Amino acid sequence: MIVVIGCAAAFAIGLYAVLTRRELIAILAGAEVMLGAANVQLVALALARGGDPAVASGFSLLVVVVAAAEAAVGLSIVVTAYRSGARSRLEEFGEVDAE
Amino acid sequence: MSASDITLAAAVAAMIAGAAGTALTRDVTRLVVSLGAFLLSVAAIFLIVASSLLAIAQVFVYVGGVLVLVLFALMVVHRDTDERVGLDSLHDIGAAAVAVAVFAGLVALLLPLAGTTGSQTRALPNDIGAFLLGDGVVAFEIAGVLLLVALLAVLVVVKGGEDR
Repeated sequence: MIVVIGCAAAFAIGLYAVLTRRELIAILAGAEVMLGAANVQLVALALARGGDPAVASGFSLLVVVVAAAEAAVGLSIVVTAYRSGARSRLEEFGEVDAE
Repeated sequence: MSASDITLAAAVAAMIAGAAGTALTRDVTRLVVSLGAFLLSVAAIFLIVASSLLAIAQVFVYVGGVLVLVLFALMVVHRDTDERVGLDSLHDIGAAAVAVAVFAGLVALLLPLAGTTGSQTRALPNDIGAFLLGDGVVAFEIAGVLLLVALLAVLVVVKGGEDR
């Protein structure tokens, strides 16, 4: 139970970081926090429901792989954006046209 | 309350503290340290409740891979500045309300699901390997293809940035 509440709290904190941070790397760090919390939640709930620990751990391992791929692509975008115009903050990318 | 419960509570508290540090700190070095503390706490929780293999994978992939990657990206992005880099946040009540609402929704949704039967056994590396190469082989192969696609995507993104 404590893990479920803790993971929900960590997920919400990560979401707050994604919503409020201006620096691209800090936003990515917030997304990593959300993903890590969701991964722990997945394992904790599977075990709490009496699921097979090997299946829960196996799927969690796959989530770690997906998260690593996401971090690599995200950081490459950050570095490329900076190198192509020294932009590392959200405001420096201009506004999205609503129309 | 057993020693295992106390250790688990400490790991959960460290996880929340690390997440809060990642979200709130204004110093870029503290951001990386907080993210590292969060990821290590997650590995500790995996070690206590699930599997030692999962904890080791978490440390190797996240702490040894992703965290070093974040440090590398920070060094590249902020290499021209000599002063300490500050991280801005746009703290507002709307974002806080969304985060609190998501927390409340998750707790209300997931708490009834937890603590019904409860599995006390932990997964052995042999069992995880048997699952990944047995029933989970399709997901395992898809994850491998995804890693390859991510690798190609990184090459395309970086090459596109160099050509511009």
